[in-house]
Amino acid sequence: MQPLTLSKVAVRCGILALILFVVVVIALKFGAVPVSLYGLAKDLIGVLIGRSSEISSEYGMIVREIRLPRIAMGIFVGASLSVAGTSFQALLRNPLADPYVLGVSYGASVGSILALIIEPHIALRPEVATVFTPLGGFLGAILTITVVFLLGRYRGEIDNRTLLLSGVIAGMFLSAIIALLITMLPSSSTRGMTVWLMGDLSTPMSPILGWVLRTGFFAGFALIYLTASDLNLLLAGEKEAMHLGVDVRKVRFVVYLAASALTGLAVSVSGSIGYVGLLVPHMMRLIFGTDYRMLLPAAAFGGAIAVVIADTAARTIAAPSELPVGAVTAIVGAPLFIYLLRRRLA
Amino acid sequence: MNADARLSVEQVSYAYSPNPSQAPIFTLEATSFQAKPGEIVAVLGPNASGKSTVLKLIAGALQPLSGRILFNGMETHLMEPRLRAKRMAMVQQESQLLFPARVWEFVLQGRHPHGKSLRFENEQDVAIAKNALLQVGADHLTDRWMDQISGGEKQRVILARALAQQPGLLLLDEPTLHLDIGAQVDFLHTLKKLTLANKYVVVIVTHELNLAGEYADQIVLMQKGKCLRVGTPANVYQRDLLEQVFQTQLTVESRVNGRPRVSVLEKSE
Amino acid sequence: MDNVTSGFGRAKLGILLALFALVQTSFARAQNAGAAALREVTDEAGRTVKLPQQIRRIVSLAPSLTETVYALGLQDKLVGDTEYCDYPPDAAKKHKVGGAINPNMEEIAALKPDVVLVVKSLNRLETVRGLEQIGIPAYSADPHTVVGVIASMKRLAEVLGAEDAGGALDTKLRERLAAIHAKLNGVAPTPVLFVVWTEPLMSIGRKTFIADVLEGAGATSVVDSKQDWPQFSLEEAVRLQPEYLVFASSHSETVHNDVEALALKPGWSALHAIKNRKIAIVGDAINRPGPRIVDAVEELARQLHPEAFAEKN
Repeated sequence: MQPLTLSKVAVRCGILALILFVVVVIALKFGAVPVSLYGLAKDLIGVLIGRSSEISSEYGMIVREIRLPRIAMGIFVGASLSVAGTSFQALLRNPLADPYVLGVSYGASVGSILALIIEPHIALRPEVATVFTPLGGFLGAILTITVVFLLGRYRGEIDNRTLLLSGVIAGMFLSAIIALLITMLPSSSTRGMTVWLMGDLSTPMSPILGWVLRTGFFAGFALIYLTASDLNLLLAGEKEAMHLGVDVRKVRFVVYLAASALTGLAVSVSGSIGYVGLLVPHMMRLIFGTDYRMLLPAAAFGGAIAVVIADTAARTIAAPSELPVGAVTAIVGAPLFIYLLRRRLA
Repeated sequence: MNADARLSVEQVSYAYSPNPSQAPIFTLEATSFQAKPGEIVAVLGPNASGKSTVLKLIAGALQPLSGRILFNGMETHLMEPRLRAKRMAMVQQESQLLFPARVWEFVLQGRHPHGKSLRFENEQDVAIAKNALLQVGADHLTDRWMDQISGGEKQRVILARALAQQPGLLLLDEPTLHLDIGAQVDFLHTLKKLTLANKYVVVIVTHELNLAGEYADQIVLMQKGKCLRVGTPANVYQRDLLEQVFQTQLTVESRVNGRPRVSVLEKSE
Repeated sequence: MDNVTSGFGRAKLGILLALFALVQTSFARAQNAGAAALREVTDEAGRTVKLPQQIRRIVSLAPSLTETVYALGLQDKLVGDTEYCDYPPDAAKKHKVGGAINPNMEEIAALKPDVVLVVKSLNRLETVRGLEQIGIPAYSADPHTVVGVIASMKRLAEVLGAEDAGGALDTKLRERLAAIHAKLNGVAPTPVLFVVWTEPLMSIGRKTFIADVLEGAGATSVVDSKQDWPQFSLEEAVRLQPEYLVFASSHSETVHNDVEALALKPGWSALHAIKNRKIAIVGDAINRPGPRIVDAVEELARQLHPEAFAEKN
């Protein structure tokens, strides 16, 4: 009998963090401008300790201003989606759940498209203008979260089947709205939207947005992690969890809210990157088991690693053109999913 | 265990409305009984007699329409969930694990109510879990997977998890339903032993007449939501009463140990 | 019992918080030192763009703007363009930075341009914003009519510091346009259907650039729609019976083959223009609001009104 301890979790997370660091260093090597590993290590350490060291102007600006922020965005988007997917799988007691199953991503897309349509017609201050589209996306996400929650209750309590149903229906409805809105967009926006809907990390974010993404991730993760023991019990059965002292209602509400918010944030910033929220939890389960006290942080690191790798591939395979990162995750994700499914059935 | 750990069910009733416009359906009418530490109470009756409702009310999963249920002097449905889980434990028939788990992981879940919400088990928890498995005679199963053990073994493990909660009150919901005869007897025998040793108050819901007659100290006989009689098995197992409740012809004999045995007769044409 | 908030647990919590703070502050940007003297221009999308006094390095993110840069004689300053920039042939040899919709930010940054040229109808606002984030100014052109294109190119010439070349180009193009206009004076506009796509049938809207080109060429689109790329009903097309079908393509045999195939289809075969093979083909230039736009107008005008161009050539 070897129960999970905090130090075990910490050690394993340390290993995952190391892997993430290595992946980031390798990812930094790829791009338009060649970068030396030595110079890279100096850069990275300089950034990590909070000051920019003397970097050669050849690649310093590119690494600092474009590549690193892009990789950082990938880390937090990937971590958010993974943690959200892991949480929804526990909440809905369904291994096929992913962050988009409750319709949040479609709501975010509708919000972003509406923002894109409205924007030319209203005068905005420059600071607001840079975050207008993601803000619209996040508002759309919040609205969807609220509506799905209200519809997903049965006799006043969140009920899995009802929640899933209302989420799927909301998603279908919003999908149709998206299709309609796209025909209303001016043609250049349409093309841009199509790229974004597939998941796109290529445009640099404003610093405010980056801050919101990071803070939102840490806050959402903390909220969910505090329920990790409860989630383990929920997975053993709802009634059992209740009899074992879990406040099922509160836990489900908190997890629903936090996981949906994480998804909304990620999608508002980068579009719908698929398969990460579905597959990373399963792969981490294969490695670390089903205890959520380990699985949640493992999923966060796993998601970050997956998206950074996918994004690096997306911007190098067809260089100088860029593939949408969602296309890469789909191409890799679908066969991987089939493999995992067959393994499970074996 | 505390000598005051007494369960008191006082004139408890329950009704619910499937939807607001319909009149409420009474699943339980005023029912009362009491139980002391070291005592097994069997709530007995055919299907839809309200016996599961009694258990859910005691467990605090439902709120009584009238009357109250006290354990250790506190009303059970008013207890904070964590506290309640430290006082009483539910043993259900099956487990609903979504992902496979090992026996020891399962039993360790019983330690959840002790301490803050996010917790990592310590040595004391491990010791208590080990002891619980020992007490139910399932310690040889410690490292096995839950979905690879037999029905009888699983029932013991579920009991072990309940014991790990260190409760004063054990609630069992038809625990022998899916077990074969040998496993049924084993289980109840172990339960009786533990009840006496650890002074649990035990309420067990069942429709097995003879098992209840053999192992229970008190019988609460239910039919269609009404409590017909409360008393010792010898008192309650009266032929006319049982025939009325179970709608079948039977005979009742008294055995050497004073406990009754019921035999169901074939239907005569 | 509860080791999350015990003393040891608190230390771990403290470490986590410290890590969190570290991550957050490491993203704080160092302030940029002030740049060289800048002038402010308002581009055609209404944005204020800060450009250096002298433009030495240009990146173009639209084929039409690449052509304009060449027409203004500024090709030596063009350090990068998109994969679709293929005219004039020399443009294909320039350093590529990706597509127009999703160009590679790093490639653009590595070229250290003084300005990036974009077109509102083709490029994305996110691209412009993204360039802004990394301190690279983007100038946006936004022409809607043929006359507008000519004016836009002149304006761009001024911004890029090539006023003379701009003036010359402007004069030349306006004279040619006026000449075409003169030749078409008094000629009734031909009703046409501009075919963007056949299955489903898609055409162009009233307020589009192509609609304006059609007008300049003595034609008028039978499609009256507010959308840019409306899907048009075949029945409606048959009802309106345009005199000509106009296709934009660089391969005329392909178009003729397609038309032969269409002639066999129900609905399409009911169109007089198909039956009589009244097809006008214009080159890709019609899709590029750039220097060759007057060529496109003339090319189309000649096909629709051969008699007006018959005498002097």
